[in-house]
Amino acid sequence: MQLVIENLDKVYPNGVHALNDVNLTINQGMFGLLGPNGAGKSSLMRTIATLQEPDSGSIRLGDIDVLIQKDEVRKTLGYLPQEFGVYPKVDAETLLDHLAVLKGITNRSERKETVKALLQKTNLYDARKKNLGGYSGGMKQRFGIAQALLANPQLIIVDEPTAGLDPAERNRFLNLLSELGENTIVILSTHIVDDVKELCSDMAIFNQGQVLYHGSPQKALGAIVGKIWEKRVPKADLETLRTTHTVISEKLVGGMPVVHVLSDTNPGEGFEAIEGDLEDVYFSYIFSSKGAEYQST
Amino acid sequence: MLLEIIRFELNYRKKRPATYIYFAIIFLLCFFYATSKYVVIGGGAGGQLKENSPYNIAQVMAIMTYAMTFITSAMMGVPILRDFEHKTESLMFSTPVSKFDYLFGRFIGSFIVTVLIFCAVWLALMLGFAVGKHLPWEPSWYAKELLPFNFWHYIQPFLTLALTNIFIQAAIYFAAGTLSRQTIVIYLQGIVLLVLYQIAGTILGDIENKPLAAMLDPFGFQAFDNYTEYWTPAQKNTQLVPLQGVLLWNRLVWMGVAVLILAGTYFGFSFSVVRKSWRKTKAVVAEKARFNPESIRIPLVQQILTSGSYLKMMWKQAIFYAKTTMKDVPFIGIVGVGLINLIVSAFYFGKMYGTSSYPITANVLGLLGEFDIFFFVIIVFYSGELIWRERAVSMNLIMDALPIPDWVNLAAKFIAMLLLYTGILLVLILMGMAVQTAMGYYNYEVGLYFKSLFTSTMSFLVAYTLLAFFVQVMANSKFVGYALMFLFFIVMITMGAMGIRHPLVVFNSGGLGDYSDMNRFGHFFARFSWLKLYWFGFVAVLFVLAVVFAVRGTDSILQTRLRLGRNRLTRPILVTAFAALILTIGTGFFVYYNTNKLNDYYTSEEREQRQVDYEKTLKQYERVPQPKIVESNLKVEIYPSTRDFTAEGFYWLKNKTAKSLADVHIQEAIQNDVETDYLRFGNGGAKVNKEWKKFGYTIYRLAKPLAPGDSVKMEFKVNFTTKGFTSGGGNTDIVNNGTFFNNGYFPSLGYEEGGELSSDDLRRKYKLPEKERMMEQDDPRGLSQNLFGDDADYIRFKMVIGTAPDQTAIAPGYLKKEWTENGRRYFDYEMDVPMVNFYSIVSARYEVKRDVWKNSNGQPVKLEIYYNKGHEYNLDKMMTSMKKALTYYSKNYAPFQFRQMRIMEFPRYSSFAQSFANTVPFSEGIGFIQKISDPDEDLDMPFYVTAHEVAHQWWGHQVPEASVKGNAMLSESQSQYSALMVMKQSFPPEIMQKFLKYEMDSYLGGRSSESKKEQPMALTEGQQYIHYRKASVIMYALQDYIGEDKVNAALRTFLAEWKYPGPDSKNKRYPTSRDLIGYFRAETPDSLKYLINDWFETITLYENKATEATYVKKNDKQYEVTLKFTSEMFRADSAGNERPLPLNTQWFDVGVYGKNKDGEDKLLYLQKHKVTKKENTVKVMVSEKPTKAGIDPINKLIDRHPDDNTKSVSEAGGENS
Repeated sequence: MQLVIENLDKVYPNGVHALNDVNLTINQGMFGLLGPNGAGKSSLMRTIATLQEPDSGSIRLGDIDVLIQKDEVRKTLGYLPQEFGVYPKVDAETLLDHLAVLKGITNRSERKETVKALLQKTNLYDARKKNLGGYSGGMKQRFGIAQALLANPQLIIVDEPTAGLDPAERNRFLNLLSELGENTIVILSTHIVDDVKELCSDMAIFNQGQVLYHGSPQKALGAIVGKIWEKRVPKADLETLRTTHTVISEKLVGGMPVVHVLSDTNPGEGFEAIEGDLEDVYFSYIFSSKGAEYQST
Repeated sequence: MLLEIIRFELNYRKKRPATYIYFAIIFLLCFFYATSKYVVIGGGAGGQLKENSPYNIAQVMAIMTYAMTFITSAMMGVPILRDFEHKTESLMFSTPVSKFDYLFGRFIGSFIVTVLIFCAVWLALMLGFAVGKHLPWEPSWYAKELLPFNFWHYIQPFLTLALTNIFIQAAIYFAAGTLSRQTIVIYLQGIVLLVLYQIAGTILGDIENKPLAAMLDPFGFQAFDNYTEYWTPAQKNTQLVPLQGVLLWNRLVWMGVAVLILAGTYFGFSFSVVRKSWRKTKAVVAEKARFNPESIRIPLVQQILTSGSYLKMMWKQAIFYAKTTMKDVPFIGIVGVGLINLIVSAFYFGKMYGTSSYPITANVLGLLGEFDIFFFVIIVFYSGELIWRERAVSMNLIMDALPIPDWVNLAAKFIAMLLLYTGILLVLILMGMAVQTAMGYYNYEVGLYFKSLFTSTMSFLVAYTLLAFFVQVMANSKFVGYALMFLFFIVMITMGAMGIRHPLVVFNSGGLGDYSDMNRFGHFFARFSWLKLYWFGFVAVLFVLAVVFAVRGTDSILQTRLRLGRNRLTRPILVTAFAALILTIGTGFFVYYNTNKLNDYYTSEEREQRQVDYEKTLKQYERVPQPKIVESNLKVEIYPSTRDFTAEGFYWLKNKTAKSLADVHIQEAIQNDVETDYLRFGNGGAKVNKEWKKFGYTIYRLAKPLAPGDSVKMEFKVNFTTKGFTSGGGNTDIVNNGTFFNNGYFPSLGYEEGGELSSDDLRRKYKLPEKERMMEQDDPRGLSQNLFGDDADYIRFKMVIGTAPDQTAIAPGYLKKEWTENGRRYFDYEMDVPMVNFYSIVSARYEVKRDVWKNSNGQPVKLEIYYNKGHEYNLDKMMTSMKKALTYYSKNYAPFQFRQMRIMEFPRYSSFAQSFANTVPFSEGIGFIQKISDPDEDLDMPFYVTAHEVAHQWWGHQVPEASVKGNAMLSESQSQYSALMVMKQSFPPEIMQKFLKYEMDSYLGGRSSESKKEQPMALTEGQQYIHYRKASVIMYALQDYIGEDKVNAALRTFLAEWKYPGPDSKNKRYPTSRDLIGYFRAETPDSLKYLINDWFETITLYENKATEATYVKKNDKQYEVTLKFTSEMFRADSAGNERPLPLNTQWFDVGVYGKNKDGEDKLLYLQKHKVTKKENTVKVMVSEKPTKAGIDPINKLIDRHPDDNTKSVSEAGGENS
């Protein structure tokens, strides 16, 4: 099964161009959607999840026209929104069981079993009788993934699932995601590069409603080999450097800025070549006006 | 810092559109109140009371601050709360602001803005009254002179009533919002206040509780009413309502409460983000299990998505919603408060003169109806809450992505509401039965509870819930949804005020009517069912629309939703929509066919216009001489099951004038929907000279003119045929069981003045001249006709009535024959003495209680009470009352003219009893189900009403009075006096005093809302507060002052000289009040003759007040009591303007009370003392230790402050030593 997105376009009433002629073909496996906050990732995810109408374009999941046959999509969909809440006065087991019914698991024993398995899987089993109002952010997020996994979905959409999680919880969460079957399309949106690096076989970089890059992380890394240069600079020099070079990232290391610039040739001036990582890829697409050029190389 | 925060708050409010919207709402409401006919606030003005009178302005202020409490709550609940809602509380709390500055800065800021918003009231009123006459539309006071503008009339009530009200409410809402940190709690506060107000209103019904009720109401409205209850229209037009007395106390108490609440808020408010929970959270520990998450395999499951599983999902969802809502504290709060309100009301169940009714199920259902307002609150709030349930906790995206069809969620929410309603209704039923049990009534009619609550109440709940769902879905903002619902109610009320009352446009129309034990739901059920089907179809359409356009996902723009909606039109949705639409249209047509084709529908304006046309077209014939009916001989066939009757037979008409009459004017009873089959005179030959079909008015030219003294036979047949159902509730006279109608359904002679518009306000609206309510006492036309109309003086009467075999039919006269024929039962009645032209026709399934009373000659008079099975409670009391009344009246006035006296119960659609010749139809709503639990405490209403109606056999039937001003003083007032005398024989003095206290209260209250002019007793013109209420007080006083014997002697002589009066009698006319007063005067000693003038011929008020009461103990048997008191008298004109009256020589009671062994008051001394000046001191000796002393202590005289007439007595010199 394949998810094919063609010419998807959406402009919000306030003028924000959330989706700008998006074309993507997503195969089974983990797909990472990388982009900064406000890039339009959630809009895209919601549109795939039948929760938002695009202005134009089409989405097909196998034979299903996602924009029309919403009910068909929803049957095989597991969706974890970016921000969600739960009924604070209901415990996890009850709510999950309730959602299971609404997913069509009407057989009581099947439901019981699957709820139990999911709670165990998400490591919430011990807290299953606890009201959701008392859950920590990570627990709540795991509950979110548990409900998304109900009824063996074929299309799983998780929107920024790791935002706000501490490193340990994030690890647990990613582990969980990575276990999802290979027969499933899992779309993971994130602005954290490592999420994608660790999990995904396919990815897209997304900004201002546009797909800037689509391909495997490896391929993306390959494209920047020898083009990332690093230098420690005094703060005072930053301003001029920004005008003269394509600065893709600035980081403080021990209080002193370390900049990465993108350049086909050695910019000299003390820059050292480094082996770029996915983060550099990401930043090179986000911050480089030339980003589009590198897509083809 | 405080100022900073206030300034911040003001700036914040300045930028909020809500501030201006609230101002606009109030401004427009008040402006349209002032300038249009259709917006009514309070409804106090009109008639004599000017719209811009200080009283009316004050009332509008009080009402607006009360009705618009939601604005106050929205303003005052949120100043602190919004920091929590916007999650900015941590920011606020970490600033160096002190808790005091923070809390009260916000409070004061918002309070100032709220007060400014409410300034819209007086601004709008000022503007409205100033420009009202110059607008393109007409205000209700268009043809009236308003009072000159007076700025202070607007500002004073704003300061005394509005400002205090806003402050009190502000404190309460502020505390609620701040301490609970929950929005809904603020809104619920309003409900609690409303309930307090309601409770205050309920207990106000008991005269003894007035001061308590006045204190209880946080809006000060009851106190306002209490303080001004006896104000005359003149006072209301001229005087500001001062902040005094009970009103001042109410304001002080509640302001105090408000300050305490604010202090409580200050101490209760925790200036930190996390606060300790009041309840300990229960630690729930699930069993720990050892497992490795990685090794867990998620099992494959079968996903069943069929219509069957959708239903299952819907049910699961519904249960889930219902359960969570039921645990919601505010929900429990609303239901709880509603139940408490019911419990309070139960204590004051069906009180009349402080006496309760039996808690028969029909009455308890009425009581449970008080919960409807809470249902409204639940519908509006929880429809919003449920529609927004997922979005409120931001779980909507998860829910929306689930594989469930669009309708499941909404349907589940609806069913959840139904489950909640069902639960509440069951609780109400239990509650109703508990009330019955508590009152010692065990005849539980569980079936009736279900029949009523699960049809009528449930359909109301369904209709409004689906409407609210639709509104919430379309508005797509909870608060806009609430506001729209509120607007909807206002529109509905306004439509009603504009006279648009067709059931097809009045939402959720079609009531089940009053349940009557006699007639059960009667014919109401058919109309109810059809209309409910119609509205069910309508709301089902709304529901489908809601499903189609509901937000699913994040697209909330209406345009997108409309576009998306098209994709949702699945087959089942379309089928449902069409079915609902067809149901609506089909039943709508059927309803229309019934209300407008089978029956006539008129808006109230059309009805008024018809009255106007009638008057304009036919008034010219008012004085055309007509023959009089001298005999009525009819056969009436009643068909109770189809609610039809026919009447066929003849009148004999006699020319009693001195000239021959060529024309006879016939007025058919078309206002009662009676059709005439034929109508002919003599042997036929009369021709229709002129005819107005629209008015049912025909002028017949007789074949030859009717010579003076000659008679002509008028034969006719009329029918009343019920066709389908009508737009209103339908005729309640001719019903399945308990038919009661009178000769108003038969043709009458000449122009009917009663068909004219009578209210001056309405007459002005149609540019008709104002008119007198009755003819003057010297009007020869008035003197030649009696109160029963100008069709006849006295008639010979014969009637055969046929009815269903299981019913008994009764008319005046004596039963000659009874038989069965063609499966119908027939009764032949004939009267053998002259009777007035006023007769009732009654038919129902009756039980009979019989007894015999012997008159002074030992001749038996048969007494019968026809009653509905199950209503045996008061038959004995009624029977006793009949006997005692007959004895007293025949002894003191004249012999009873009949050999039989009957009382017949009729359904409770009306609450009165009425006296016809030897028959008294008596409503089941009064008397039959009245409960006299404590004969020492409760007034025996059945006894009183029976005695009153029996007295009419003399006053009205032996002496019908002239149809002129003051007429009711002869019939009603003397019947009232007669009943009082019979009661005096049977009841303890305390009961009499209590009864008279209610009567005085009703009189003083009645004159306060007089719309035209208050008349003195002798000129009463259909003013019940005078000819019943005032009459009770002054007639009782008269017999106290001059003696019962003297009054009775006057009445006896009057009756002897005026028996069966009229143009044919020796007096050549009917008597007036002036005639009777002559007899009273003749019996009054010269020293008291002034009373006749003060009480009967003028409006006189007394103001007696005990100022000081002391005693000196002379010895064990002698106590000298010194009473200081003031006495004043006032004379009022018809508008209520008063002037002081010199006392001259008055005789007032001076009384001293002691205590008996049981600690109850006992009169030690009661003597009339001569009083000639304002300040007085009297000394009297009593033989026991006095406790209270007073002037006119039993309140025999009309006094607006009866409670200050007595004072506790203290020992003299006690304070000095």
